[in-house]
Amino acid sequence: MNDAVLAVRGIEKRFGAVAALRGVDLELRTGGALAILGPNGAGKTTLLRIMAGLSHPTAGRIELAGQKTPRSGVGFLGHATLLYPELTARENLIFAGRLQHVAQPAQRADVLLAEEGLADVANRRAGTFSRGMSQRLSIARARVHDPNLLLLDEPYTGLDRRAADRLTHHLRRLRDAGHSLVLVTHDVRQAAELADAAVILVAGRIVYRTGDEGLRGDDLETAFSAALDSAA
Amino acid sequence: MNVTLAILWKDLVTEWRSRDRVIAMLIFSLLMAVIFHFALPDQRPEEIRSQAPGLLWTAYIFAALLGLNRSFALELDNDALSGMALAPGNRGWIFLGKAAANFVLIGLVEALTACVFALFFDLNLTPVVPSLAAVVALGTLGICAVGTLFSAMAVRTRFREVLLPILLLPALFPVLAGSVNGTIAVLNNQPLPFEAVQLLIVVDGIYLIVSFLGFDYILDE
Repeated sequence: MNDAVLAVRGIEKRFGAVAALRGVDLELRTGGALAILGPNGAGKTTLLRIMAGLSHPTAGRIELAGQKTPRSGVGFLGHATLLYPELTARENLIFAGRLQHVAQPAQRADVLLAEEGLADVANRRAGTFSRGMSQRLSIARARVHDPNLLLLDEPYTGLDRRAADRLTHHLRRLRDAGHSLVLVTHDVRQAAELADAAVILVAGRIVYRTGDEGLRGDDLETAFSAALDSAA
Repeated sequence: MNVTLAILWKDLVTEWRSRDRVIAMLIFSLLMAVIFHFALPDQRPEEIRSQAPGLLWTAYIFAALLGLNRSFALELDNDALSGMALAPGNRGWIFLGKAAANFVLIGLVEALTACVFALFFDLNLTPVVPSLAAVVALGTLGICAVGTLFSAMAVRTRFREVLLPILLLPALFPVLAGSVNGTIAVLNNQPLPFEAVQLLIVVDGIYLIVSFLGFDYILDE
């Protein structure tokens, strides 16, 4: 795997007669940020959930650097928040920490709440939070076990422009701090702002990937428009 | 084990704050007792004693179905089920946490239901509380072991409310047989029949082991 934190080898996924993924290969270097773009139904979320260990591929394999047990070392942020509305922000993080075998979940929860600017509302129930606050708590939840790799499935869904910019800034900070990111989106602008590499998925196949020169917004925009046309 | 305790704690805290499952099960059990009371009027005491165990377990099983149906349905809000499924290692520990929480909540409802039945059917349960509690605990363990597994299986389907009873009720025949026979003996002030207890222990053990091992596949998408 060289310095790759994630390697996807020949992943295929079928749901009955429907092929959602048809032989996907990709790598993500340690500290890198990869955007997976594609039209609706391209298989982006399916691929991300396989990377997270939530779904088994029909064929192929996922290699995660340093992973000792299934699903360890991966943080997952979906478009749903994964939070319990009846629990407080702090309780949600402590619960997630205990699921992830964090040694001192209460202390870790307090650190994350402070980092996400939620210390003042730590004892408020998550069900009373705005979408932006829930998203910040959800990021804290994904980071509770300090994973090497963060998988982000359409994290901008439902956020207004200001909250989306704040999220981009926040994710950049995480990337700069050494976290590797995989971002599933169909927003080219957000992909270009955050990622240093990108692939475009159409009908379960990668039809475009950035080359050695890295991610260039104009090229990605052109390739994505072509992909949308081909999918239509 | 930490995962099991975390899930047990989470389920009990969320239920304490929402109270939706326990209240729904309790109201349902109360209505069952009222319906049985009016459906079987003017019974002699010995007739009541012979029918009460079957009626009690009928109420228990249908009330448990309500609670089990909600057990994983609540995890669909905000896709919390995925958050739980992301826990590293064997997912059998997740099953144990959910089953333990179901056991506590259904057990609580069953205890209150027994009091309601005692009132409606003029049963004196006080002298038989320990042996009745033992039979109910063994029966409830079987219901929760297989019910938690099937609840997780049904929750992602379109017809989960219908699917769970169709899957679960046939699997509960041996649990019902052992529990009702045990309860008949207890209410007639006889010693617990060995065959009934043995049947419940064996069935509980099988259901717990199969569910623990199978849960990893059930949570997989």
